[in-house]
Amino acid sequence: MLKEMQQVLRLIMLMGKQRQKLGLRTGGGLLLLLWTDTEVSTQKLNCTVNCTVAAAGPWCAGIQMEALQPALVRLKESMCPCVWPCNEPDPEELSAFTDLYGSLRFLLSFQVKDTRHCTSEWQAHLEAFLRTFTLANAGIQIHLKLKINQEASLREFSVKVKRRVALADQLLLTLDVTCSAPPPCCVKKGCWCVRGHPAIGGRLPLSIPPQTMEQGLFGDLSVQVVTLLTPCLLPYPNVATELTHIQVLVYNPSNIPVTGPSGFFQKLPAVLDCQELGLYRVYCSSFKDLVYSGGTVYTVEKDSWDDPEQESSLPTVQQSLLLFFFLQHSDPFTSQLTDLMATEMLIELHLEDILNNNRQALVAAVQTELRNTLKSQNHRKKQQEKLHAAAEVILGSSMSIVSSSSNMDFRNACLSRMKVHDTHELAASLRESLWRVTSWKFVPKAKCFSTKMEVHPENDEPTTAEI
Amino acid sequence: MESRAAHFCSEIDKLHAKLLINVGVTTDWQRAEKEINHQEILNRIESIILEIVTSLSKAEAPVLALPNRSSWANISFDSAIGLQMSSRQSVTTIRADCPSSVTKFAQILKILSVIYRLVQSNSYATKSVCLHRDIYYNNTKLFGSQKAVDSIVDDISCMLKVPRRSLHVLATSKGLISGDLCYMEEDGTRIDCHSSSTAVSVSSNISGIKNIVSSAKFVMIIEKDATFQRLLDDDFCTKISPCIIITGKGVPDVNSRLMVKRLWDELHIPIFALVDADPHGIEIMCIYKYGSVAMSFEAHSLTVPSVMWLGLLPSDLQRLRVPKDALIPLTKRDESKLCSLLERPYLTSQPEWQKEMKLMQQSKVKAEIQSLTAIAPDFLTQIYLPNKLRYGGWI
Repeated sequence: MLKEMQQVLRLIMLMGKQRQKLGLRTGGGLLLLLWTDTEVSTQKLNCTVNCTVAAAGPWCAGIQMEALQPALVRLKESMCPCVWPCNEPDPEELSAFTDLYGSLRFLLSFQVKDTRHCTSEWQAHLEAFLRTFTLANAGIQIHLKLKINQEASLREFSVKVKRRVALADQLLLTLDVTCSAPPPCCVKKGCWCVRGHPAIGGRLPLSIPPQTMEQGLFGDLSVQVVTLLTPCLLPYPNVATELTHIQVLVYNPSNIPVTGPSGFFQKLPAVLDCQELGLYRVYCSSFKDLVYSGGTVYTVEKDSWDDPEQESSLPTVQQSLLLFFFLQHSDPFTSQLTDLMATEMLIELHLEDILNNNRQALVAAVQTELRNTLKSQNHRKKQQEKLHAAAEVILGSSMSIVSSSSNMDFRNACLSRMKVHDTHELAASLRESLWRVTSWKFVPKAKCFSTKMEVHPENDEPTTAEI
Repeated sequence: MESRAAHFCSEIDKLHAKLLINVGVTTDWQRAEKEINHQEILNRIESIILEIVTSLSKAEAPVLALPNRSSWANISFDSAIGLQMSSRQSVTTIRADCPSSVTKFAQILKILSVIYRLVQSNSYATKSVCLHRDIYYNNTKLFGSQKAVDSIVDDISCMLKVPRRSLHVLATSKGLISGDLCYMEEDGTRIDCHSSSTAVSVSSNISGIKNIVSSAKFVMIIEKDATFQRLLDDDFCTKISPCIIITGKGVPDVNSRLMVKRLWDELHIPIFALVDADPHGIEIMCIYKYGSVAMSFEAHSLTVPSVMWLGLLPSDLQRLRVPKDALIPLTKRDESKLCSLLERPYLTSQPEWQKEMKLMQQSKVKAEIQSLTAIAPDFLTQIYLPNKLRYGGWI
């Protein structure tokens, strides 16, 4: 079912991409209705899942279903053994969707017979896929309605904070940059950046291996790297950060996440130069709180010879890095939707070969992105060490004067200001306060607290034309 | 012999008499300046600490405000004093929560704590070793260089509005002195500067000097150590006795300036400057005479507005026909410095100095004192200086 849904999504996204090149907007809604017709037999519970995919909104405005027939035929062939057509969806479900986004521009229903789709595990997998999809297509709000085995559920995948990024070839992406990490207790209300700030990395041309060319993949293939580091600590320049996890997500040219484990990325840590990065090691791990599916997750361990005593007293915020690999392909001889879909499937099928064929360049690209990320981390650490060393001198000197003063008014004033009873408590209280004010110094940044565009979805007027 | 000596010094004596008249006008005012007592200094330091504690009690980052000692905008000129810091001056903020300034914040606090202890015990740290050096070597990682300690002591002196000497911190002296002068250091050591072959280091504790005895007719400030040594070698102080020669070895340190000021305050004799005929030498002479921007907050104790320019004058180069190969073309930097000097407020009251500097601008050449050896090896001590002093060749 997931593969089938991916195929349908691919068709819609490829259509949208073509329209994007015309400068049209990319926001809107996507409805996924899944419901079961369960047949009960004496031996086995057979599960037939009906699926309806519907799209509305500016991102698919102007699409004519009749014009899509050749592509739909090809789609149906690639989605065998789906059953076409299937039961029609509940009109009320569709009307609720059209009320939000306007008339439907795309509607396709199919049926799959498979017991696996009736399990909660599969549903979780589907939701993870949709979250990963939304991550790089934050302009599209997804409504997932499930009615499996009499149990109904509704999930909406919408984004709180999004950011438009422009890649090469004027390709625009809307990324979900929402950061859900809770602020540390030292942070005042309203002073925590809830968004990440994507950084556009290098664009790397990829050479197509000969065996893949023999299968029919030609043209120019490249990968654009985008990084997203969260949570954002830009307003807190004195806090040390520690990169603990890296997740790699690969998206095919239609911006659909590539699912399935990648041998290439799983072996990547072994070839990274950890010493150059100042890291103890990077290794592939199964991050239990994995929100996004299809990616490869690494755990990062830093140098073990850092002073553990100093480290425990220095405030450090752990960060995670998302590495997006956006595959891009262009071939002047491929412009029909059907050809584009076939090309994408080829890319996905031979992705491991392609990645291995460009191993050196890809490893260098990852090394560069990590180096850039860790440069900031290392700088923060040095700054914090400087503050820490100076703080000890400031406290020592101040306490030396207070302790040796014979001016009772002065001593009492110092004790009463800090609400303590003796110089011993004063020293501890001053230390704690100095450390707090210097470490958590807040410098508001416009890009962290701006209320422009990134927060609100595109304000597009739906059209009234019917399919 | 006596009449010859008397004739030789006649112009100097006339100048001396003239200076004494002016001194009577300013002395009472200068003496009116009170010394700040130890308790007041402790109170001022305590108020800084209390401000820091108060900031932390409000969860605010502590901040120190240092008067800006490098800006001409904070300077005013008084012909009787020289360059002094304005009462309303701009400040530089040193924050404890900013990595770029936190080290300086810590350095200031460290030295404040040292000064506090010294003032409390009302002692000077050592008799023979400079405390600046002590502070530096006890905390090399914190300060990085002795120069950093020197600068921060000046900042603290300016911030607390307390003379450096009252902080009980002694700076290194690099200057040398020789001639008709005896005095006693604070620790009772007797200093005799009469030796013709070796000079005495300028004291680190000028304010502690007592019992100054001298019959010198004048004091000569010499820009460079090389020239100073030359005069020593040529037994200048014996031949043109009685006099005192002093050098700060280039840009003078505070102790050298304090010494010149002290000699003026005690002896009220003419003070001449012998500097290279170049913008750098003129600027050094102006530091002795009018003070510097960096130390303007303590101008009263450092400046000697009565300093006269004895040589080497740009007009001397033409008059004496110094060989051209001994002259050096002005660089772009020299020309820029010369323009800057001409715009300084203190030169508006020195038309003769302005004339000499404009002559240098027009001729586009400069010369070191050593250029006089191109005329004759001992021209400086045998001809040039004696004639200058005999015939009043100063401006």
